[in-house]
Amino acid sequence: MAEDVLELRRLERRETDMELTYEDGTVFTVSYDDLRHACPCAKCAPLRNEDDTSMQLRRTVEAHPKQKPLVRTVGNYALSFEWESGCSSGIYRFERIWDLAHRRDPDRGRPYVHGAW
Amino acid sequence: MSDSPVSMHNPGNDTPAEAPAAPDAAAQKQMEQAYAQMKRKMAMAEIGKKIKHKIMVLSGKGGVGKSTVSTGLALALAQQGHKVGILDIDITGPNVPKMMGLDGRKLHVEAGRIHPAQGHLGVKVISMAFLLEDEDTPVVWRGPIKLGAIQQFIGDVEWGNLDYLIIDFPPGTSDEPLTVAQSLPDIDGMVIVTTPQDVALLDSRKSISFASSLKVPVLGVVENMSGYTIQGKGTPGSDIEIAAPAGRTLRATCDDEGRFSVTLDIFKEGGGRSTAEEFGVPFLGALPFDPGFVRGGDDGVHRIVSEPEGASATAFSHVVASIQSQLDGASSSSLEII
Repeated sequence: MAEDVLELRRLERRETDMELTYEDGTVFTVSYDDLRHACPCAKCAPLRNEDDTSMQLRRTVEAHPKQKPLVRTVGNYALSFEWESGCSSGIYRFERIWDLAHRRDPDRGRPYVHGAW
Repeated sequence: MSDSPVSMHNPGNDTPAEAPAAPDAAAQKQMEQAYAQMKRKMAMAEIGKKIKHKIMVLSGKGGVGKSTVSTGLALALAQQGHKVGILDIDITGPNVPKMMGLDGRKLHVEAGRIHPAQGHLGVKVISMAFLLEDEDTPVVWRGPIKLGAIQQFIGDVEWGNLDYLIIDFPPGTSDEPLTVAQSLPDIDGMVIVTTPQDVALLDSRKSISFASSLKVPVLGVVENMSGYTIQGKGTPGSDIEIAAPAGRTLRATCDDEGRFSVTLDIFKEGGGRSTAEEFGVPFLGALPFDPGFVRGGDDGVHRIVSEPEGASATAFSHVVASIQSQLDGASSSSLEII
């Protein structure tokens, strides 16, 4: 059964991570490295299918200079992050952000198949 | 002259007055496009401040009367004195201008901004139909081009301050509503239009699920072509029998002046309400089957304009009142990004 995702009320961009405050007042942090590694765009997502390419993606992400992204809401259902360098095309559904906040695999173990998401 | 800040000057290149090399021209064009896209994004973000309510009108199935409902909602709101606009996103089959008496009209463009045409009751209209050379020309575009056109319709149009923007979509749950839901900030919700037959109801359920996946609230379901009211005269006090579809017989009694009225459910009865109840979304109301809409649509004089006190106009005003009560009750939760 699908889990109820609480409404995100506040997102504070800090130097290396973002602080998320949900409607019940609980606060989580998500590092920019974790966020970028979990990018759902069609370039990044397939790289997480295999351990070695996933590790490679992680190293690439960690090598980027630490910077605050521009954050925009996408409709009512997602956020997008624009980085000074690198991918800015990932649309992160609020469910995905919720999983990251709870330190869970946002892909839920499903491999990326082009066109299937 | 382009309003792009991109300069043709190329520092470090001392070659005098030669035509620019092809790659430079291509890069220039790319930069200009990127600049235009950035300006458009900023304009789209600004729209939220100028337009109080944005309502999407969708249906899963074609032919249920989405454009009729969109124009009807817009005119019913305008009748209340609101400033209203309609954005006709049906790129391949745009027909809102015809219904609004704006057939053959061209759009006015000034300083890179598109100014909408104004139809009945001052309703502002933007539609692909205004850009077609003739109405028989088909628009054959793949998804990405449609997406660009939609973003242009949202970001480059000078709507001014509006109380309501009604957005009319083609049938289905594909690129168009997705693009609008992504591009336009703070959409108030979707109105799902259906007719009472099973195939339309089935597709309406998909639209409701679609809205849920986009986190766009469903303001409610409107049942269009709900019933056709037959009126006539007979002997006062006499009983009238009318043969209805599926072997049913409708009965009515003539009043003291000999008048009778019977509503014939041409399709089925109550499908829109039951679908709304099944999904736990509001039922906004039923609109009668009214041949006057066909005539009005063809003549460019909407039924609400030609008969503002008629049964259809009254039904629309009830639907509008239901939508407004949904909007009043909606919480204005927003995400604070610091």
